[in-house]
Amino acid sequence: MLCAGALSWASASQARDVAFVACPIVQDTSNVPCWLSEHGGEVYYLGIQSDVSAAFNPPSLGHLALVEGTVSEGERICGGLVLEPVKVSIMPALSPECDELRMVQPGLELPFEPPRPPGPSSGRLAFAPPPPAPPPTPPFEAKTFEIFFPFEGTVDFKTPDALQAVLAYARAVGEVRLQVRAQRAAVRLSDGQVIAEREGIAAVRAREIGRMFAALGEGIAQVEVASSDVPQLGDWRQRKVEITVTPCDEAGRPGC
Amino acid sequence: MRVSPARAVLVAALGCAVLSGGYRAAAGQPQSPAHVADQAGQAAEVPAEASAVPNGGRAWWSPGEARDLPQAIEYENAHGRLTLYNQGGPVETSGHPFFEPLGPNGRACVSCHQPADGMSLSITSIRERWEETAGRDPIFAAIDGSDCPSLPQGEAASHSLLLERGLFRVFLPWPPRDPWGAGRIEPEFKLEVVRDPAGCNLDPTYGLASDNPMVSVYRRPRMVANLPYVVHRNFGVGPFVGKTGEPALRDPENGQPVNMNLMADARQPTLGTQAMEASVTHLQLLNGLNPAQIAQITAFERQLFAAQTRDLHAGDLLAGPGGRAFGPRNLADGEIGVLGNNITRWVFPIDEAWGEPQARLTAEQNARRASIFRGQRIFHFRTFWIRDSMHLNTVGLGNPTKRTCATCHGMHMTGLDTANGWMDIGTTNLPWAREVPRNPWTTERERMPLFRITCRADLPPHPYYGREFYTQDPGRALISGKCNDVGTIVMQQFRGLAARPPYFSNGSAATLRELIDFYDRRYNIQYSEQEKVDLENFMATL
Repeated sequence: MLCAGALSWASASQARDVAFVACPIVQDTSNVPCWLSEHGGEVYYLGIQSDVSAAFNPPSLGHLALVEGTVSEGERICGGLVLEPVKVSIMPALSPECDELRMVQPGLELPFEPPRPPGPSSGRLAFAPPPPAPPPTPPFEAKTFEIFFPFEGTVDFKTPDALQAVLAYARAVGEVRLQVRAQRAAVRLSDGQVIAEREGIAAVRAREIGRMFAALGEGIAQVEVASSDVPQLGDWRQRKVEITVTPCDEAGRPGC
Repeated sequence: MRVSPARAVLVAALGCAVLSGGYRAAAGQPQSPAHVADQAGQAAEVPAEASAVPNGGRAWWSPGEARDLPQAIEYENAHGRLTLYNQGGPVETSGHPFFEPLGPNGRACVSCHQPADGMSLSITSIRERWEETAGRDPIFAAIDGSDCPSLPQGEAASHSLLLERGLFRVFLPWPPRDPWGAGRIEPEFKLEVVRDPAGCNLDPTYGLASDNPMVSVYRRPRMVANLPYVVHRNFGVGPFVGKTGEPALRDPENGQPVNMNLMADARQPTLGTQAMEASVTHLQLLNGLNPAQIAQITAFERQLFAAQTRDLHAGDLLAGPGGRAFGPRNLADGEIGVLGNNITRWVFPIDEAWGEPQARLTAEQNARRASIFRGQRIFHFRTFWIRDSMHLNTVGLGNPTKRTCATCHGMHMTGLDTANGWMDIGTTNLPWAREVPRNPWTTERERMPLFRITCRADLPPHPYYGREFYTQDPGRALISGKCNDVGTIVMQQFRGLAARPPYFSNGSAATLRELIDFYDRRYNIQYSEQEKVDLENFMATL
């Protein structure tokens, strides 16, 4: 959804930060493909295909992508300026014009060995999961966790991992009350336009997260969901759900 | 024929018993199995008199035959020989609930899970039974062995989907029941019947506008063997579905999350709840199985392993070193529920030594072994672009993703998905789903129902099909109500393929070659002829 730039913008884009909506491009190599995007006459390198353990998940042909990243000073990869860090969100509307898959070009290869080839692995995921956090210890008090989403994104394959810290804390506490608060976000693009997530998405996020916890049952005495449909202008950190875990002892029995 | 008032009362009285018989549902867990009460209503509507069934057929097991099932039994098929191995030893089938006709229509579990067919049911067996029994075998029961119970029974045209594609009618309440509550799910899409060749979706008694609204789709019976792999709780199984984040179904017996890989639409969490539903819908045993019967059936199912052991051209698949992928005993001894899409464990482990020429084999056998080995390598290493497949291209790999067969079919020894495995490869959704081509020069008509799906305007469109599209079977979406689940089907294991054509949930590939050709078209793989031959030879040995 494109809006006039009427919303407040807390921090203007830094010189090397970019935010734009454009078609993604697949550039095949003799190993795994690169993902690129073109904007303002420049080609940007977003990342490579690996597997579900990767922080970067490639977007989708057939859809525009919102690219939010910082231009790296390093060498180009697959012909593109490297964005690192980068957040890429798949825009939900179908965009059949986004359909460019470039075949392998002589001399255009990855300057590194990808962590995961396009076929069978060497027996491990591309990226080792982070070491488990130490188990929560008392005293237990109300604690708030944040879960972030892609632009226009809701619960997906990454959400269960993102909830692990919440679950670990809730289980350590015992009986808890959960408050789920979701919000809708907006982003100012490099060209000054502001795009906001669709109306109602905060409620969907809150409902879906609440449903995940409610389905767990044991130990979760109550799940409250709330949402704000007022677009919060900022970067990816505004696309979030806050989950507050309150021990039932602290919340008071009637509330639990 | 309408159900008698007395029978209707019986059904109403038994509705709750069907749901709760033998199970206790813990708080916060799904009631088991929620939609079966609706199905029981329709099962009661359909006449269920047992037919007089003569014994016969090459290897047919009729219900109640009281034959002994030895620990290992072999059956010939078009590609060689399949061995069914019972890890628990021989079974006396007399009185065994898997083999006895418990319901009024004369069927038993074994009716549609035949040892010779890898514990599924091949189109060859179906047609033979039609010929040998003049259509009176219980597999042709009106409830789901005909295209619709309202059709004149006993006429081949009324059983066309079973006779031509090996499909049984699956009837499911619409809108779906909420597995986490007492109500119904508000679907994310509108479901409209565009075409209904069998007439069941528009039928006033059995259809969507009936007093007990049901949608009818048509699916193949799945293989009842190697099930420890199918219901494993190892890698990828947790409280949430790994591909969507939604809560995973739980075992009502112990509250543990399950992998939801058992049925085409993942609607039942365990072998026990599946058996309960099957007894109501397929056997028309309206009060369902009792706990002892469920325990006996599921224990039996868990100890069966089936795989090819002999190839017509390669000979004994277990001869010589390195054939670790072959045969049911290797399956029984295999590591269960682990990833095989790697070069340490492999999905189907065949060592190079197995494919090398061996002096004691004939030239033809050595040549076929080399082809099978090449097929195994193609399965693991031949890349292609996988595109627009829901729950594969949406799980972080990108769309398209350059991968191989083993990416999706990654579970060691079976080619299942270790995680919750429903995805859309286009077998039921247009434009990929198979159907009779219409043109001015043919009088042949379409066979499958066709539904128009219109995703709600307040939600994003389906990322690959848009707001409005068409399907022959909404698959998982008939249970979840989700637009993105339309056409997603839980993948099946690769075992016993030679014994149980046709393939895919809707029987749309009559042969292994047609199955390979479907993938070749769908993903523009551009396999060479030799690659197709090698893949087919490989798959026929599993």
